[in-house]
Amino acid sequence: MSELRRVDDTLWEIPASARPDMRVPARVFADVDLIEAIASDSSLEQLQNVATLPGIVGAALAMPDIHQGYGFPVGGVAATELPDGVVSPGGVGYDINCGVRLLAAPFSDQELGARREGLVHEISRAVPAGAGKEVRGRGPDLDEVLRHGSSAVGAEADVELTESRGCLTGADPGAVSARAKERGRGQLGTMGSGNHFVEVQRVDRLLDAGAAAAYGLAEGQVTILIHSGSRGLGHQVCTDYVKRMDAAMRRYAIELPDRQLACAPASSTEGREYLAAMAAAANFAWANRQAIADAVRAAIERVVGKGARRATRQVYDVAHNVAKVETYGGREVIVHRKGATRAFPAGSDEIPSAYRDVGQPVFIPGSMGTASYVLAGEPGSLERSFGTTCHGAGRLLSRTAARRQIAGSDLRRQLEAKGIVVRCPSPKGLAEEAPFAYKDVERVVEVVERAGLARRVARLVPLGVVKG
Amino acid sequence: MTYAWHDHTAELELHVESETEEGVYRDSLAAFGELVGGDESGEAVRMPVEVAAADRAALLVAWLEELVYLADARALEPERVTDLAVSDGELRATVEGRVAAPRPLVKAVTYHGAEFHHDGSRWHARVVLDV
Repeated sequence: MSELRRVDDTLWEIPASARPDMRVPARVFADVDLIEAIASDSSLEQLQNVATLPGIVGAALAMPDIHQGYGFPVGGVAATELPDGVVSPGGVGYDINCGVRLLAAPFSDQELGARREGLVHEISRAVPAGAGKEVRGRGPDLDEVLRHGSSAVGAEADVELTESRGCLTGADPGAVSARAKERGRGQLGTMGSGNHFVEVQRVDRLLDAGAAAAYGLAEGQVTILIHSGSRGLGHQVCTDYVKRMDAAMRRYAIELPDRQLACAPASSTEGREYLAAMAAAANFAWANRQAIADAVRAAIERVVGKGARRATRQVYDVAHNVAKVETYGGREVIVHRKGATRAFPAGSDEIPSAYRDVGQPVFIPGSMGTASYVLAGEPGSLERSFGTTCHGAGRLLSRTAARRQIAGSDLRRQLEAKGIVVRCPSPKGLAEEAPFAYKDVERVVEVVERAGLARRVARLVPLGVVKG
Repeated sequence: MTYAWHDHTAELELHVESETEEGVYRDSLAAFGELVGGDESGEAVRMPVEVAAADRAALLVAWLEELVYLADARALEPERVTDLAVSDGELRATVEGRVAAPRPLVKAVTYHGAEFHHDGSRWHARVVLDV
């Protein structure tokens, strides 16, 4: 990519002049090694495509964990100005409000001791990958979940410690198709497959003791990281609206280099209805992670004993596939984050009062067998990235390439040799998520810290993982 | 069987090649069945399917979307298609398979790089699945 130039230590740019259809530059946060990996697939071309969206402001941005996706790259951020800038369902992705929630257990790794394997096993029994026939038809009223999100199923203490209190305003169950509701019914409390997981971890190291104390984290403590999203309901909402916007673009005289970027003005009927349906799906995802968290707490109590359920505290819950209305420099914009996490700094009204002095918690899962990080949002995110930081290590190898390099059974043995308990029904699926299929999470978080987007608070290492 | 999975960093890219237009739909069902199926148990069922789209690539996307929906909402592991008829942007068929426990791997079917064309001798199609 000859137009790619280095702006500073952690920022690279392709100028808007690189292509006649680009409206703004494309910018990537990365170091020299990461940018080399990023340039090896279609990520940068996809980011340039994002820069063509009508109404986009600032730049099409990418976090250091960016990798090739479909339409938008994963790790991409785009802000479009209201009222007439577009909203693009593909800029959120099919797994609307895919995100992560961290629970802090009231015991240490040492105190858990030999019960670790039992705990991972109990969690695998309590959190199914997909909805079985026995699950379907149960649960709270779906429309209530779509309207109210976390609070429809969770306690106030958890709701308070969830991004946007676990509920996007403007959600309208009426904008969600019957087919989407059918797919979602019975899927609350299910993990899904692919890269979704529940991981039991130990706090390995504190890197910002003050923020860690505010988040209730101590060295040696057991934590549980939950990664899931809006399941079939969200997938269907995106499917429905991509199709609808694909059909409507000609009417709005919008031409794009990739059909999957299909979009419509946010003020249009299609735009408004998508935002209402997306908010409903985001609320479903928060309720889903709440239901999973409750199942995990019950599993902890069964293994560790009475009182452990109530004493297992939620640290926070963040979305990494969502579009939200936010204000930057007096401009009201829709920030599309696809595989990217909001990272507001200390002082933001959007942060729970308990964390307002240290910044919003952000969780960066590594990959099975590698560390994960707790970060805190920094002021640079507001200045440079529409309040955003990375969301994970970022995929490096395709699933088939990962499978070519290792068999699931061998990977399981390797992880178990490192003391990591693994529960995964599919050896093939396990191999696809091998640690070497991802970038180095240490490098990714180092870049966002150097860029001033977020700072490291704690390093978490895996004790056991449950995969769908 | 004339389908193949090609490398894509995060998703799954399906390439299908067939002598007939209908063959593309049959083979894409076989590919999808391989991904989500494998359970020999379960009740054998037949489900009618009807989809429509503005062009061939979008019709293939719609067909696979229907299979994703049936797997997710009806627990269908598709095995074969019968009574397949394609004309004027419409597809009608009966999907045969088993109600079992399909692997919840495929989230959706994308338009990204979707293709469906005839090269003078064979039909070629390409579609990226979000997994």
